[in-house]
Amino acid sequence: MMRTGIFVLPLTAGILAAQTGPDTTRRSTMPVLKMEIPAAGTLVAVTNATIITASHGTIDKGTIIIRNGKIAALGKDLAVPAGAQVIDGTGKYVMPGIIDEHSHSSGEAINEGTRSVTAQVRMQDVLREDDISLYRQLAGGVTTINVLHGSANTIGGQNAVMKLRWGLPVDSMMFAGAPPGIKFALGENVRQTNGGNAPGRPQRYPRTRMGVEELLRESFTRAKEYQAEWKAYDDAKAQGHKGTKDFVEPIPPRKDLQLDALVEILEGKRLVHAHSYRSDEILMLLKVAKDFGFRIASLQHVLEGYKVADEIAAAGTGASTFADNWAYKLEAFDAIPYNAALMAERGVNVTINSDSDERARRLYQEAAKAMKYGGASEETAIRMITLNAAMQLGVDKMTGSIDIGKDADLAIFSGHPFAPTSRVEMTLIDGRVFFDRNKAPTLANLIEQLKRRARPNTTEGAQ
Amino acid sequence: MNRILLVGAALAGAAVPLGAQAAARPPAAPSLFAITNTTIVPVSGPRVAGGTVVIRNGKIEASGSGVATPSGATVIDGTGLFVYPGMIDSGDRMGLTEIGSVPGGQDTQELGQYNPHNAVLSAVNPSSVHVPITRANGVTSAITSAEGGMIQGWAALIDLAGWTPDEMAENGRVAMVMTYPSVRSGGRRGRGPNTGGDPAEAQSRQVRELYDYLREARAYNARPNPVSQNLPFAALGPALRGEVPVLFDVQTEGQIRGVLALADTFRLKVVLRGAADSWMLADTLAARKIPVIVGPLTATPNGDAPYDAIYAYPGVLAKAGVLIAFQTNDSGEGDARNLPYNAALATAYGLDPEEALRAVTINPARIWGVADRLGSIEPGKVANLFLTTGDPLDVRSQVREVFIRGQRMPWDDRHTTEYQKYRNRPKP
Repeated sequence: MMRTGIFVLPLTAGILAAQTGPDTTRRSTMPVLKMEIPAAGTLVAVTNATIITASHGTIDKGTIIIRNGKIAALGKDLAVPAGAQVIDGTGKYVMPGIIDEHSHSSGEAINEGTRSVTAQVRMQDVLREDDISLYRQLAGGVTTINVLHGSANTIGGQNAVMKLRWGLPVDSMMFAGAPPGIKFALGENVRQTNGGNAPGRPQRYPRTRMGVEELLRESFTRAKEYQAEWKAYDDAKAQGHKGTKDFVEPIPPRKDLQLDALVEILEGKRLVHAHSYRSDEILMLLKVAKDFGFRIASLQHVLEGYKVADEIAAAGTGASTFADNWAYKLEAFDAIPYNAALMAERGVNVTINSDSDERARRLYQEAAKAMKYGGASEETAIRMITLNAAMQLGVDKMTGSIDIGKDADLAIFSGHPFAPTSRVEMTLIDGRVFFDRNKAPTLANLIEQLKRRARPNTTEGAQ
Repeated sequence: MNRILLVGAALAGAAVPLGAQAAARPPAAPSLFAITNTTIVPVSGPRVAGGTVVIRNGKIEASGSGVATPSGATVIDGTGLFVYPGMIDSGDRMGLTEIGSVPGGQDTQELGQYNPHNAVLSAVNPSSVHVPITRANGVTSAITSAEGGMIQGWAALIDLAGWTPDEMAENGRVAMVMTYPSVRSGGRRGRGPNTGGDPAEAQSRQVRELYDYLREARAYNARPNPVSQNLPFAALGPALRGEVPVLFDVQTEGQIRGVLALADTFRLKVVLRGAADSWMLADTLAARKIPVIVGPLTATPNGDAPYDAIYAYPGVLAKAGVLIAFQTNDSGEGDARNLPYNAALATAYGLDPEEALRAVTINPARIWGVADRLGSIEPGKVANLFLTTGDPLDVRSQVREVFIRGQRMPWDDRHTTEYQKYRNRPKP
C-alpha cells in the first residue's frame, strides 16, 4: 500500500482488527470459486517444454518429473515413469512459480496505525482464504506471496509468507519453513504528512525523517535492554541448576510481545522488509541496522536505490522495487525505470514486486521491463520475480528455481513469459495443479453460457 | 487568438467549425530526414522491408521501398529496425498532474458536477516531465481530460511536444467528456460522482438532473439570440448538434444502457471509455457504430467477473466489429508510456495482434477525427513516428528514435538523465 491517503480506511480497519478480531462485516459477497482441490503427492511429468530454470539456463524440449510435490528429475530425454499424470508441454514455456515479494492480498486489515511501533501484530491473524485476488494471481503464475503489514508505522507488524493453494483453508496456505519477517517503513507514509494532517486526526510521533531514525534507535535500545534482562534471568536460572545450596528461583522479566519480535530481529531470526524511497533514508536505515548488529533482508520500493546501489550491495541487503511506477508522491518523483537493472549491475539482489492485487497478475510483464530499461539479461529479469525473491524471503532452498529437490512450484505459459501474446496456462504448487486455464471460468465460457441462456427454445424447446 | 475566436463563436451560440482549430496550428519547423534501409510498418498497409521514410517540414513526404534519399537530408540508418506510426493514448491526464500527492500540481478535477465550459487544454503544462518520458516509448499523442463530476468539459488531443499548449494541440476541443450516474458509489477512483444516501435513489435523481440539464442546454442552443449568455450551455452546443463526440467514462452495463438511451434522446455521437462491461453489449455497440476506448487493462475485473474479463473484453468487442482504441487512464502515475503493454495483454487473451496495433494508432486517429493526419505511415501525414528494435507491444523492444511533427525528439527526459548521472557515480 504505497499510495497517499491510504491511511484513512486501513487505520479504521486496523483498530477494528486489533480490538475485535477480523472485521467480518467487510467480507465481500464473492463466493469462493468452487473448484476441485488437486490431490497431493501425485506423480507428475511435464514433458517436451522449454524450461526456464532461473538457476542454470534454459532447457529446450525438456521434461520435469515431480514426485511427492518435489522436482525429482529434470532434463532432456527423460523417460516418463509409469502411472505419471502427464502435462504435455509441447510449445509451452515452464518457469519457476512467480514469487511476489510485496503483497497485501487477503489481508482483512493492513495497518495497525495507532502507534508507530507495532512489532507485536501479525498479518497471519487477519488473512482470508476466500479473497478472489489470490485466485487471480495464481492465474498469473504466482505461487508464493509475502503478505506484509502496511507502511503506516516505523516498525510495523509481522509478515506472512503464503503459497497460493487456492481452495484450501488459510492455515494450509502458510509457507511452512519460511523464516518469520516484519515490515519497517520510512518516509512520507510513516510521518503521515500526506493526508494524515486532516483536522481532527490525532498527531502521531514521528513527523519527520529524523524522528523516524530516533524511534528506530530508541526501539532497539529498549530491545537490547529487554534481551539483557532475559539473558540475566536465563543465566541466573542456569546457575541455579548447578545445584548451589542457597539457590533462589529468579523472577522472570515481564513478557513483551513487541520486544520479543525486536529481539528476534537483533538475533537474526526475523527478516526485516523495509519500505523506503529516498537514498538518504536508505543510508540511515543501513547505518542503524549496522549499529545494532542486524541486517536488513530487503528494502521495499527503494525507488532511489539506484543512487546508493553500492552501499546497498555492501550491506548485503536485497532490493525489491517496482518496474516503472513513479510520480505518485514526492518521494517517488526521482524514481526511474532503470532502477532494477542498475542495482543488479552493482551487485544488489533485486526483485520486482507488485504491492498490488492488479500488478501481481502480470509480474512477468513487469520483470521484462528490467531488460528494456538498463539491459538486464533475460535470466536476471526472470530471477527478479523468482529465485531472488526466494533468497530475500529465505526460502531459496525450497522454491524459486527449477532444480532437483525443490518444491514443484511452476508456471506454464503458452509462449515465452516475456512475449506480448503469452498467457499462463497452468500453475502448479508442490506439483499440484491449482490453476488450469482449460478448466477455469473464463470470459469466453461466460459468454457461451449467456448465449445458451438467452435462447432457451433452441435446445429445450425441441424436446 | 484561435481560442478567443472559439469562445466568441460559442458566445454567439453559433456552430464552431471543426477545422478552425487545425487552421491556426503553427507551421512545423523546417526539417528533412531520411530513415533508410528499415522495415516500415505503416499499419495502413503491408509492411515494407528495406524501405525508406522521408520526413520533410513536419510531414511524411515519402515512404516505401525504392524511395530516394533527398539531398541535404539527415540520414538515420534504420538497418535492423522498424518504423511505426506514433501511438495515441486515448485517455490520460497528461499535463494536468505532476506528482500524485502534491495538491499544488493537480488540475485534474474542477469543483461542481457540470463543467462543460471547461477546456482542459488551458491547464496542460507543456513542460511537464511526464511529456518527454511518455513519448520516449513511442506514445506521441494523447487525449487528455479532466475527471470527477458529471460533465467534465472539453478533452484535448495533444501531441507530446511543443512549447505551448496551443502548439501541442491537434484539437483542443476534440470531445465533450461526461460520465453517466452509477448505482455503485463513486469515490476517488470510481470515476462516478459520490452518491450518498440510498445508491439507487441517488442514481435516479442524478439521471433526472442530467436529462434536465441537457434539455435546458438544448433549449438554450435552439434560441437564435439568448437574452443572457450561459457559457456552460453554449459549450454543449456542438455536442448536442452531433458535431463533436461525447466521450462517456463509464464501466457497468447499466451505465452503458443509460448512455445509449441518452444518446437516443439527445442524438449524441457517443464514444464509450473504460466500459469494462461493454462485452455484454458488443453486438449492439457494433450495430450502432459506437467506438469503445478500452482499458486500462492494468485493472482488476469488476465484481465477480471472470479472472480474464478485463484482458479479454477488447478481443470480444473487436470480433463483434466494434471499433476499439486503448487508453491507459494514467493519472500522473507514469502509466501512459505503457500504452502498448495494455494492448499486449489483450492479445494474450484473444485480440488479434494486428488489430491491437491498429487500436493504438489508426483506430484512435479515426475515432478522434484525425485519420487524415495521424495513425499511419503514409505520405502527406504528420510525421509522428518512431524507430524501434521490434514489436512495440513487446516490452523487450527498445525505442531508438521518436519524431513528432517531423522533429527529432531529444533523449533528455528525466529518467534517462538520472540514469546516466547515477550510472556514472564513482564507487564510494
